[in-house]
Amino acid sequence: MASATTTKGAAGRGSLNAILFYVFLVLFVLVSLFPLLWVFRMSIVTKSDLLTSPVVTLAAPPVGTSYSTVFGNPDFIQALQNSVIVAGTTTVICLFFGSICAYSIARLRFRFKNSIMTVILAISFFPAVAIIAPLFIQFTAVGIINTYWSMIIPDVVFALPLTIWILVAFFRELPRDLEEAAKVDGATTLQAFRKVIVPLAAPGVFTTAILTFIHAWNEFLFANTFTFDAAHYPVTVVIPNFATTYTTDYGAQAAGAVIVTVPLVILVLIFQRRIVSGLTAGAVKG
Amino acid sequence: MTEGTEAGASVSAGRRLNRRDFLKMSGAGLAGAALLGSTACGGGSSGSGDLIFSMGTDTSGTLQGLVDKFNKQSKDFKVQYREMPTDSGAYFDKLRTQFQAGGGDIDVIGADVIWPAQFAANGWLLDVTDKFPKSDQSQFLPGPIQTLMYEGKIYGVPWFTDAGLLYYRADLLEKSGYSEPPKTWSELEEMGLKTAKDQGIDNGFVFQGDQYEGGVCNGCEYIWTNGGNILDPADPSKVVIDSPEAAAGLATEQGIVEDGIAPQSVATYTETETDPAFLGNKAVFARNWPYMYALAGTKDYPDVKPEQIGVAPLPLAEGQTQLASALGGWNMLINAQSDMQDEAWEFVKFMTSEQSQRQRALSASLLPTRPSLYQDSEIRNTLPVVVQGEEALKNARSRPVSPYYSDMSLEMQEQFNGVVNGDTSPEDAVKALQQSLTQIVEAGS
Amino acid sequence: MTSSDRENVSSVRSAEKTRRGGWFREEFGNPERRLAYYMILPALLIILIIAFFPIMYSVVLSVTDSTVTASGSFVGVENYVEMFKNPDFLEGLKNTVIFTVASVTLEFVLGLGIALAINRAFRGRGLVRAAVLVPWAFPTVISAVMWRLMFQDQIGVIDAVANGLGIISEPILSDSTLLLIGCILVDTWKTTPFMALLLLAGLQTIPGEVYEAARVDGANVMQRFFRITMPLLKGTILVAVLFRTLDAYRVYDLFWVLSGQQLESLSTFVFKAVRISQLLFAQGNAASIFVFVSSFLIALVFIKVFGMQTSTEE
Repeated sequence: MASATTTKGAAGRGSLNAILFYVFLVLFVLVSLFPLLWVFRMSIVTKSDLLTSPVVTLAAPPVGTSYSTVFGNPDFIQALQNSVIVAGTTTVICLFFGSICAYSIARLRFRFKNSIMTVILAISFFPAVAIIAPLFIQFTAVGIINTYWSMIIPDVVFALPLTIWILVAFFRELPRDLEEAAKVDGATTLQAFRKVIVPLAAPGVFTTAILTFIHAWNEFLFANTFTFDAAHYPVTVVIPNFATTYTTDYGAQAAGAVIVTVPLVILVLIFQRRIVSGLTAGAVKG
Repeated sequence: MTEGTEAGASVSAGRRLNRRDFLKMSGAGLAGAALLGSTACGGGSSGSGDLIFSMGTDTSGTLQGLVDKFNKQSKDFKVQYREMPTDSGAYFDKLRTQFQAGGGDIDVIGADVIWPAQFAANGWLLDVTDKFPKSDQSQFLPGPIQTLMYEGKIYGVPWFTDAGLLYYRADLLEKSGYSEPPKTWSELEEMGLKTAKDQGIDNGFVFQGDQYEGGVCNGCEYIWTNGGNILDPADPSKVVIDSPEAAAGLATEQGIVEDGIAPQSVATYTETETDPAFLGNKAVFARNWPYMYALAGTKDYPDVKPEQIGVAPLPLAEGQTQLASALGGWNMLINAQSDMQDEAWEFVKFMTSEQSQRQRALSASLLPTRPSLYQDSEIRNTLPVVVQGEEALKNARSRPVSPYYSDMSLEMQEQFNGVVNGDTSPEDAVKALQQSLTQIVEAGS
Repeated sequence: MTSSDRENVSSVRSAEKTRRGGWFREEFGNPERRLAYYMILPALLIILIIAFFPIMYSVVLSVTDSTVTASGSFVGVENYVEMFKNPDFLEGLKNTVIFTVASVTLEFVLGLGIALAINRAFRGRGLVRAAVLVPWAFPTVISAVMWRLMFQDQIGVIDAVANGLGIISEPILSDSTLLLIGCILVDTWKTTPFMALLLLAGLQTIPGEVYEAARVDGANVMQRFFRITMPLLKGTILVAVLFRTLDAYRVYDLFWVLSGQQLESLSTFVFKAVRISQLLFAQGNAASIFVFVSSFLIALVFIKVFGMQTSTEE
């Protein structure tokens, strides 16, 4: 995505075409963002306005009660913290093992490269739900059920293929000469990796980190299965459960959804170029 | 990448990576991870020495208030309230997960009335028969006590109770010329249709038809009020749902939707949707639990005031005399794995005492399980629903008691919901249930 | 197979012929290759232990009458037979297949259209790109919560608008067909941008001269699309579609939350069986093996029949 291709540039076309194109763009962007905007609207009305009808919701004066409910709920604050810890640890572990593995695949020669890459990729085709029962029993046996590890470990396994896949693509793009030069100067393979590749690959590694973090931040199935108290729930488990004694609290759900989404939106806005290059790195071959 | 570079640095001291270096490297990673784990995940031991008590969300705050009160007088140990999901199904799932994982750390469980058999059958609950003799049991309502019995032993203490009630808009009925709530389902249909039309209200009736536990309660009520049963009351190992009465009950439920007295969307209604429909001036009648009474006229629901609504037992089918509504409510159970069983019992006694139940009734409008409190003048004055719904409360019936209740519930949820949204005929539903429930009962014996 | 692998293989092949295990010495006798394996090992071990070992365990559970608390005895394929008689499983299979085919097709067609449309320089390109990434970055379960609120009958804006315009005549959440359509649309909303970005990146690797040459030769728009764009994009399309297909085939949280646990998919069936039911635990394991094996077969079809490349080598 380095430079925009201009083969079909809008310049030479009539202005009608250009207008149509922008109408299409605006529609497209609106459809993409509409749910977030609407849920934001739902999060800033009173309960009685929210429950009357969508029309009333649209016109109601803004109030912050849902946000004070959500932020007043210690479990939600705890859940935000849990999500950050789980997603952060997952990212660090994935990058550590993933970059070592990816470097080997991208740079070194050995026989079973393709088979190994296929095995790693097979994991991303793996139905997560298929292993929750056995994992539950194993985690219980080793005593890590209902800990951060019961989420981090499966998260790592399902994020690693993605991490490796993207990192291999990034490492391949790096010039080989510098590394060779370092080796000629007497550096070992690992030194070459650490001193040459790691700094050069930093942007790619950073991109991979964002993608891995989002992946882990969004995980629900493992978290919902392997944790059972508020001290360990991440936000994805807490928000759908927002409720009062007998009923679901829609306003709080909406507010919670907005709160956990806004950081992601900001992340995406700032790093969109990197994210796109990371997402497409593995899938598109030159 | 800090971990990566550090590990790399420790290795670069040697000339070449040999196996030992490699092991060190990965060992360092794992040790680092384990260290992180031990500092970050002290979950299991958190608040050791405290008694942990679990219960769904309590927005009234009285639960925490009572726990605080208990903690103030208790010298030897403190109680921690652990909040669980409001949705009974989600809460159940969390508890069961925990029990399967070896018991967990919850000592006292605030538990839905449908759970004890299932937990007790797995040996997860403390048998309190010795602590809670018949003479003490007799001070509680018999219905809730019944939900705690499994194979002749009792596994907890009733805490608060619930029964399905018929809410009606007394003001609207009066304007349309009715002085009394309906006694039969056909009266309800007729009154609902006419009043809704006369007074310009969207719906005649709303109830909970969604595919969830509440949908089971509603479905059972239609079956019972038509004289049908799920299991044979004389022999609970016999499934008797495939009867004309049960089919007629479900036909009533379906007919109410098909004839337009209730909106089609009741097939998606839980309590969450029922409150705003009835208290938002959009329905003449509603079936709900007692808690809804206290919400009328509050800031969330300003449209309908308490004096505009009345409460009555659920209607019956033509020719039936036995009132029935689903028994809901919550019990207090003790984890068999708890290492604080005496302390747990002390806390259970405190929470279920007359005084605590009274306080919870007055400030959270949760109905007591001690009949004596129904004579309490303050409760009768503050909670008119107690007076108006007393008849219904007395006739509350428990859903099938079975160690495989969650499987039964899944089947009933699906069939009852199919009936409400018109996908399944009442006859097919009772036939399907007869078959699947029989299988479940047989598997359990 | 790639050139570097081919080299490796041919150099070891002669040794392999003379004695068994020759490749082993060849691979591990060479320090650089040995290092390569060491570097791969940790990641591979994590994956094998956490993912493949449980699957094997699941296979074992699926041929016994185990419950979640007690291990049972061998019963052969009984659980699989029972599973195929279970109407809930069949319902889940049907819904999953419909969902996968419909959502992936929609996403592909829309994604390709969008990619073709925005494959040009224009103002606000960055903004558009960021906007389309937003649905993708959403946690699926949170977006399911949001859409459920919008589909809701009393407060839901979409239900109100759709009923108002007469597109539908009943509440979305109470009708299983509408729910399935809803899930397909929500998934399309969430992942079309992803598909579009992948395809866009693929389009940008096609050199402009190719189109110029075709234009000079008198090829029209349709001819250029089917003769140049599609063949050159085939690799990208296969990767993108396979990823999406397998992802859609595993659908769990979207169905679970959006339909309020009402709509059955293969994964929700497994979840209910192993997590909620007391009686279907072994059958749930059989179902999870079914999901695993069928996913694998789908991937195999893409690789063998459509000729997708699994290697990332250039």
